[in-house]
Amino acid sequence: MLILIFLQLSPGIFALTYHYALGKYSKNQASFLTLFFIIGVEIISACIFLSTYFLVSTLFFVGFRPETSVLTWILAGILIALGFLAFFHYFRPGAGTKLFISQKYSKGFKYSAKTIKTKSDAFVLGVMSSVSEFIYTFPLYVLASAEIVHLSLYGISINLFAILFVLTPLLPLFIIRYKYQAGYNLADIIKTRTKNKPFTRFILSFNYLIIAILILCFRTIL
Amino acid sequence: MKEYDENEIKKDLKIDAHALGIPEGAAETFINRTLKDAKKHLKNKSIITEKDLERAICKELKKYHADLAYVYQNRDTII
Repeated sequence: MLILIFLQLSPGIFALTYHYALGKYSKNQASFLTLFFIIGVEIISACIFLSTYFLVSTLFFVGFRPETSVLTWILAGILIALGFLAFFHYFRPGAGTKLFISQKYSKGFKYSAKTIKTKSDAFVLGVMSSVSEFIYTFPLYVLASAEIVHLSLYGISINLFAILFVLTPLLPLFIIRYKYQAGYNLADIIKTRTKNKPFTRFILSFNYLIIAILILCFRTIL
Repeated sequence: MKEYDENEIKKDLKIDAHALGIPEGAAETFINRTLKDAKKHLKNKSIITEKDLERAICKELKKYHADLAYVYQNRDTII
């Protein structure tokens, strides 16, 4: 969950979208329009997570156990790779918080954020921003699904965990929304992001590696 | 090579200024002054890069509104 909070693409695009919406419309209109960005992020995150969860739980109930599967080793390997990628590749070198997506996509997102006019534009932009981080989120969804299914064996209510996991990606967006409504502007947000860039990089990388180590220690049989 | 479009820059700056809560009249005045002064700095050069233009505009904008200059300078480094 901590990783989902620290991922930067959706919050970055959201900050830009809100800024440009404020530049063109009134505060209320901007606030209303960008709400659809958040809904877009939420719906696509929920769709991806719940599909993964459905797949994993189906596999689980037909007898698949992560402990005895080579898939767990693959997942741990992917998470280790993501740990290194998050450190060396997530942020581009240089000033600012340029991210791993290609410059063409980055320009496309900026253009879309700038020219946003309708609720559906905002919704689609939210969906696209979330999908673009798929490489960093999908292994987490698979892992979380497996763990939630595992918890159900001990009689722990799993709905709460599933709901929490689906809602987590929205937290940074609501923080940015609150900041704009409290009178902060894009300059403040860029400064905060730039200042915390090394910390974000460290937290992302550290968490991926720790999760991979935990999987190797507790979910695999040597 | 790209042609310098003053109206496009002015439009972008006005959107940024409105988003930062700068009153329209004040924004209009100092954006015009900024572009005029930036042009003065660059008039001896026959070819200028986008970075030269951005630097000159930011330098002038800083005199009027530091946040607007910062946003203009860093608008491409967010994502």
